[in-house]
Amino acid sequence: MTSEWILSLAVLAPLLGSVLLPLIGRWSERMRNGLALIFVLIALVMAVTLIPVVATGATVSVQLAGFTLFYADTLAVFMAIVSSLVGAVIVLYSFGYISHYPWRNEYYFMVVLFLGAMMGLIFARNLLVLYLFWEITAIACWRLIGFFREKSYVLKADKAFLVTVFGALVMLLGFIMIYNQTGSFDLGQIQKTLQGQPISNIAVVLILFGILSKSATVPLHTWLPDAGVAPSPVTALLHAAVLVKIGVYVYARLFLTGMAIEPIWHTVVPAIAAVSALVSAGAALIETDLKRLIAYSTISQIGFIFLGLSIGNEIGIAGGLLYILMHGIAKGGLFLCAGIVEQNAKTKDITKMGGLITTMPVTAVAFLLCAFSVMGIPPMGGFFSKYMVITGAVTSGQIAITLTFLVGAFLTIIYLFRAFTLVFLGESKLAPGFRPAEGSPVMVFSVAFLGALSILSGLFINFPSQFVQTAVHQMLGLIQ
Amino acid sequence: MPVLLIIVPLLALLALNLPWMRLMNRLALWVGLILCLTQACLVIYAPAFFLEAPSLWLGRLFLFEPSVDYLSLVMFLAIAIVGAAALMVCRYSIHTAAEPGTCANNRFLVINLVILALTGMNGVVLANDLFSLYVFLEITAVASYILIAAEKGRDAFEGAFKYLIMSAVATALILAAIALLMLTAGDLSYVNIKLAIMASPHSGVVLAAVAMLVVGLFIKGGLIPFHGWLPDAYSAAPAAISVLLAGIVTKTTGVYTLIRIVISIIGLSDTLENLLLFIGAASMLVGALAALGQSDFKRMLAYSSISQVGYMVLGLGTGTVLGIAGSIFHLFNHAIFKSLLFVNAAAVEQQTGTRDMNRMGGLAEKMPVTGCTSAIAFLSTAGIPPLAGFWSKLIIIIALWQTGHIVYASLAVLASLLTLAYFLSMQRRVFFGKLATGFESLKEANAWILIPACALALITIGIGIGIPWLFETFLLPIRSLL
Repeated sequence: MTSEWILSLAVLAPLLGSVLLPLIGRWSERMRNGLALIFVLIALVMAVTLIPVVATGATVSVQLAGFTLFYADTLAVFMAIVSSLVGAVIVLYSFGYISHYPWRNEYYFMVVLFLGAMMGLIFARNLLVLYLFWEITAIACWRLIGFFREKSYVLKADKAFLVTVFGALVMLLGFIMIYNQTGSFDLGQIQKTLQGQPISNIAVVLILFGILSKSATVPLHTWLPDAGVAPSPVTALLHAAVLVKIGVYVYARLFLTGMAIEPIWHTVVPAIAAVSALVSAGAALIETDLKRLIAYSTISQIGFIFLGLSIGNEIGIAGGLLYILMHGIAKGGLFLCAGIVEQNAKTKDITKMGGLITTMPVTAVAFLLCAFSVMGIPPMGGFFSKYMVITGAVTSGQIAITLTFLVGAFLTIIYLFRAFTLVFLGESKLAPGFRPAEGSPVMVFSVAFLGALSILSGLFINFPSQFVQTAVHQMLGLIQ
Repeated sequence: MPVLLIIVPLLALLALNLPWMRLMNRLALWVGLILCLTQACLVIYAPAFFLEAPSLWLGRLFLFEPSVDYLSLVMFLAIAIVGAAALMVCRYSIHTAAEPGTCANNRFLVINLVILALTGMNGVVLANDLFSLYVFLEITAVASYILIAAEKGRDAFEGAFKYLIMSAVATALILAAIALLMLTAGDLSYVNIKLAIMASPHSGVVLAAVAMLVVGLFIKGGLIPFHGWLPDAYSAAPAAISVLLAGIVTKTTGVYTLIRIVISIIGLSDTLENLLLFIGAASMLVGALAALGQSDFKRMLAYSSISQVGYMVLGLGTGTVLGIAGSIFHLFNHAIFKSLLFVNAAAVEQQTGTRDMNRMGGLAEKMPVTGCTSAIAFLSTAGIPPLAGFWSKLIIIIALWQTGHIVYASLAVLASLLTLAYFLSMQRRVFFGKLATGFESLKEANAWILIPACALALITIGIGIGIPWLFETFLLPIRSLL
């Protein structure tokens, strides 16, 4: 198989395969579940197959009707592996979680479509193709957040859809400005035309608006905690694998590899990220709904990723990319644990739980491992990425911003410990005699896998970090 | 032989109404469907058929000289598709109960009038001089008045009456304009009028004529501030007729005619350009805002229609090739997705017996195909990729931006968000959510709804995904003729 086919398959298998799922689901549940997992695994395997090709610095592109449709470099392959890996675990977990709710056909259709669109977005070479997949994720997200059909849930789904589409439309105006400046929507063509000239600041503001709305950064973050009404695997998908990562990825794709921006943005974006990290960490401190708490934590951590990517030096960018991986694994794990807890304890309020470690030990340990990784405690994977991001910030000399982030990192430790203590330790505050059981085997296996991955990614940090180094060299080489 | 597009349906109508054929009135539906599908197939597979000159003996029969270009082909296709959809909905929602004292039934009469309206619209597209244009506009309009009132309720008569009065004003204005132009040019063919206008661009008579013509067409197209008749007419009409009216009738008689007259006759002056942009933007915004507040399913769709017509006029107002191509493209896409929404509205109204969205909820559970296709249609209307509506809006917005109308471009983007907002509220109240009480025994509509709904949804998706190929075969020809 040529690299072009591998690349096309990575995108098209989940994208087109998703359409088959509801049809197959009418006939056989098991076959549909299996195929859903296989489609996501195909994307993962194909992305892994591309590693040796892109690691040498080569790129792969797929041409269609005269324009470049898909394009793979180290950054894209890295991102694709993160998304499809976490996505595959989430699909596996769904087998247990979603099995006793109606509308399962729609669920698998939307989840796989969501991941397929993410693959398309990652490998997009053309701004319009990127926008197209961006909106497909919004549609899937809308259906999935409103999945349980309660009136207030659907309202929240509508809110998420409206906020992200508004951001996307503003971003589209930015794309149109770039088109007018360069005469093309193709990123390679744009790069050639610009010759390192920075693009206009208005276009940057417009595009940034879209990115921040999708990545749920303050002040466009309010839809993300509300999205917690979705089924737990979906929230994990939104927070860890797909949705909020879209924003940071597109930032890296456009402003780190595609086109140059004025130096002022290396201060403005970190400042926005700092505010976002601090405000949402504060919100997480006082939140009592488990899923909302983790959601605020995501907003806060996204701030760290933005800091790394936007600070403008090599170690920061490498840290930001590693952060995407570590956060994806750990936050996915946290949400899946929250799903088990919420489904079995029949509540999401952490003040009403307690002592769950006695009946769900595996979940508790997995939760703790993932929480350690998010906190940045060595030797977990999250430690290395956080360390590199902060080093990058110190190197660039932004002292005030670095201090703000250190406070944010400190708050992260507090609120995650608080959550862990209230949920798993102490006396049970549930109804007397009610001892929630551990989740089903596939669910427990999924969270244990992600917990183990959190620690393994730290112990074998050499492997991802080398790959990220290559990616960063390639990205910075492209821009200069 | 484009003239056949008028002759064949007329002969078919005559044949259907011959005394001994009236007993076979079941045939009417099939005749109508075959006419529409033949027209659609001919446009797609044999466009040369339309472009060749009429043979001599046939040409001599008529004083009327049709002219066809790629713009007309797009319109023929839209007319045929929407016509077929409307006919199928007729079969679904209009009863066959015979009126006392006649041997005909209601459905038969409606189908005859639909075929007549389609013929009239074909004529509007074919016309090459103002007088034929006027005649065919009237044929279409008269058929529409009767169709709106076909169910004979109080609302139906009110809607039809409003449309009749507003249309009469429009007709008077257009006719007066034609008279003034005849005075100046001595002839009514597009080419000669264009020459006469170019010879004396600032004469008061010409300006007055152009103004009356444009205002008349604004009324026909239901643009703000002449939109008063449109929501009443659309919502009071029988379901099948709403499909026809919203999908194609007002678009052909108002928007297409406006585009044709601007590019073939009067050209764009600065004043006209500003007027079009302003009216277009106003319609787009006011229509969308008004739609937000509706609780009647069909009224919401009607206001949405006003809003979408605003986009088309904005595209025309840019005056650039790209903008006008976008405008036509949007007209076509709108014909598809708005017909689809009205087809679904017909299904919902028929199955639940109400159009009040507040009394519905969760219908997608019982009517999955209707729910799914209506989601596709509204996402296309709101301009969400990869559906067709996104590309036409994108082209219009790019055209606006390139001509320096940045404010209008931003408003167009904002209106997309409003569109999404009201349609999300529609989805929430009708399809998404928990099943409302009282609808436990609800059933999905039958094949006469599902076939057009699925076909239209597939066209919307197909155009959206196939755009890189369609751009060469579909849009560039439009551009080349301008």
